[in-house]
Amino acid sequence: MKIGMMSVAHLHAEAYIHNLETIPGVELIGIADEDQARGQHFAEMYQARFYPSYEAMFAEQPDGVLVCSENANHWPLVELAAEAGVHILSEKPLATNLADAQAMLAACQAAQVILMTAFPMRFSAPLLEIKAMLADGSLGQLYACNTTNQGQMPIAHSRWFVDKELAGGGAVMDHTVHLADILRWYLESEVVEVFAQTNHILHADTVEVETGGLLMLTFADGAFASIDCSWSKPLNYPTWGGLTMELISERGLTTIDPFSQNLTVYNQSQRSHRWTYWGSDANQAMIEEFVAAIREQRSPKVTGEDGYKALEVALAAYASAKSNQPVTLPLV
Amino acid sequence: MRVGIVGAGFMGSTHAAGWAETEATIAGFVTKSPPAAQALADQYQARLYPDFETMLAEVDVVDICTPTHLHHEMVLKAAAAGKSIICEKPLARTVAQGQEMIAACRSAGVKLLVAHVVRFFPEYAQAKAAVANGDIGQPAVVRLTRGTFRPKKAADNWFVDFDKSGGMMFDLMVHDFDVARWIAGEVASVFAKNITSTRPDAPVDYGLAILKHRGGVISHVEGSWAYPPPLFRTRFEIAGSDGWLEFDSAKTSAIGLHLRQQPTDAPDVPLPSSPLSESPYTTQIKAFYHALTQDAPVPVSAADGLAAIQIAVAALESARRGVAIELEQLPEVSA
Repeated sequence: MKIGMMSVAHLHAEAYIHNLETIPGVELIGIADEDQARGQHFAEMYQARFYPSYEAMFAEQPDGVLVCSENANHWPLVELAAEAGVHILSEKPLATNLADAQAMLAACQAAQVILMTAFPMRFSAPLLEIKAMLADGSLGQLYACNTTNQGQMPIAHSRWFVDKELAGGGAVMDHTVHLADILRWYLESEVVEVFAQTNHILHADTVEVETGGLLMLTFADGAFASIDCSWSKPLNYPTWGGLTMELISERGLTTIDPFSQNLTVYNQSQRSHRWTYWGSDANQAMIEEFVAAIREQRSPKVTGEDGYKALEVALAAYASAKSNQPVTLPLV
Repeated sequence: MRVGIVGAGFMGSTHAAGWAETEATIAGFVTKSPPAAQALADQYQARLYPDFETMLAEVDVVDICTPTHLHHEMVLKAAAAGKSIICEKPLARTVAQGQEMIAACRSAGVKLLVAHVVRFFPEYAQAKAAVANGDIGQPAVVRLTRGTFRPKKAADNWFVDFDKSGGMMFDLMVHDFDVARWIAGEVASVFAKNITSTRPDAPVDYGLAILKHRGGVISHVEGSWAYPPPLFRTRFEIAGSDGWLEFDSAKTSAIGLHLRQQPTDAPDVPLPSSPLSESPYTTQIKAFYHALTQDAPVPVSAADGLAAIQIAVAALESARRGVAIELEQLPEVSA
C-alpha cells in the first residue's frame, strides 16, 4: 500500500512517518508540500522522496494520504485528494470553520474515499480499557467528567500554531477537540450545549490568541463535562503536557492519566530531570487503523463526521466565551 | 477568656481540641444531645449548658459549630449580647442573612470570625504565599478540587437536607470558592453544573463550576460527594504567566497504610489529612485567639465568608437555571 504525506506543517508528520515505517506492506511514497523548502528539508531528514507538487504525488497513485498542513489548509488539500480518489487521514482539528468541514465531508462522500480525523487518543490503551468498562456496565451510569488537555504553548514547534488565521484560534482550537471526541465516544451521546471562558494572561506578550480556556459541555443524555484546554504548562515542565479524565459514575470515581506512563530520569551533570514515556504509542494504533480501513474497504473507527462534531464544540466555545452564556448545539 | 462552643458534634469537638491549645478556657458546650456530649465536656472540665442563652451569659467568646441554617439566629443573639463570635463556614444560608450578621456585629462592636479552615492548611497557605511572592507570575488559570463521599450521620443528617446545608455545592465547594477568590481576586460571574440538578435521583452529588474573576483569571472548581468512602482528595493547580504550581493530596500523603484487616468503616464526616505536628484546625483556632486577645490580623474576615457564600449561591442558581450568573459587588466585600 502506498501512502503519501500532504504537507508537513504539523509536527505530528514526524511521528506518523515513523509509524508508517513499521507497518508491513506499507510504503511511504514521499512528501509534497506547497512550502518547497520545508518539504524538501523534511524529505531529506527522513530520506523520503520530495514531490514538487501534490499533483506529482497523485501521479504515483497513492492509496492514502496523511494531511498534516496548517489547520486552515486541511480543506483545500482534502479537496485535491478526494478529487484524485485517494483516502485521507486529516490532522485535527478537521477544519477551522464548519463550512470547510462540511465541504470536506461532502467531497469525500462524493468521491467515495475515506476521511478519517487524527484523534489518536481513541487508540490509547488506558482510554480503551475504560471504554470497555463503560460499555460492559462495570462503571454504571456516567454522570459527569472533569477533563484536561493542557500543554505548553506550541510556538516553539511552529509559528502557525499561534496564528489565528492558520490555526483557527489558540488553546481552545488546539486542545478542545481531543476530549470533545473522547467524551462523545464514552457517553455515546451528542453535545447539546457548550459554555466557555477564555483568557489571555499566559504568554500575553508573545501571542495574540487565547492561551487559557475552561469549557463545560452538556450532553443529550444529561451528563456534563468540563475541559481545560489551556496552554498552561510551563516550558520547563517535564513533558509537553497531557490529557487527564476523571469520571463520576454510579459506581464511584475513575481516573485516567494516559501520559503518566513515564520513567523519571535524572541526569546529574546537566542538573536536569525528564520524563520518558513508556506507554503504548496511540499514534501507531491510529495509523494502523487508517491502513486497515483502506485495506478492508470499510469506514475507520474515527471518521470525518467525528472531526466535524469535535470542531463544532470548539467553535461553540468561542461563541460562548464572547457572549458569556452557554451556546446551544448544533450550530447550523 | 471563656469560650462557649455551640454544637458538640464533629466540628465542635475539633474546635475544642484547638481551644485547648490556647490560654482560653473552654467554659462549656451547648448541644442537642447532652448524653453523647458529656464525655466531651468532661474531657475539658467544661459544662453542658441547658441552652444557648444560659451559655451566652457566662462566656466572652461564642464558637458556633452548628448546622449552617442555625448560624444566622445564633450570631445575631451573640452580637446582641456583645460577645466575640467564631462562626463555622458557610457563614450563613443566604447572602442576605450574612449581610445582616455582619451589620449586627459591626453595630454591636463585636468581632465576627469565619472558620474557613482551608486558609490555614499549610499547602494552601504556602500556595497563596508563593503567588503573592510572584513565584509563578500573574495567575491565569486556577483549578481546585475537593472530593469525598456524602457525609453520613446516624441521626439528623443535616448535610443532606438542602434547606439546612445548601447541599454539596454550598457546604463543600464553598471552601474552594473562598480559595479561588483568595488567590485570584473578586469573582465576576459563575457558571456551574451539578448532579442534583441534572439527575435528582442519583445517590451522589457532584458539581463543576467555572468562575470568571474581575481581574481576568478563570477558575475551575470541582466538588464531590460522589467518591466511595473513605476517599477524601484535595488538589489544586495554579498556572501563572511565569510558572505553575500543583498539589495533590493523593501524591503528598506522606504515609501509606495498606494493612490487612484494616477497619473497613469510614468516619461519618471525612477530613483531609496529611500528618502535621499541628492540626490546621488548631492553627486556625490559635489565629482566632490571637485576633481576639491581641487584635492581630486574621487571614479570613467575615466579608470573606460572605463573598464565599455569594459565589456558592450563584453556583447553585446557575446549576438550577442553566445560565451564567453575574455577581453584584457587595458593599460589605468591596469596602
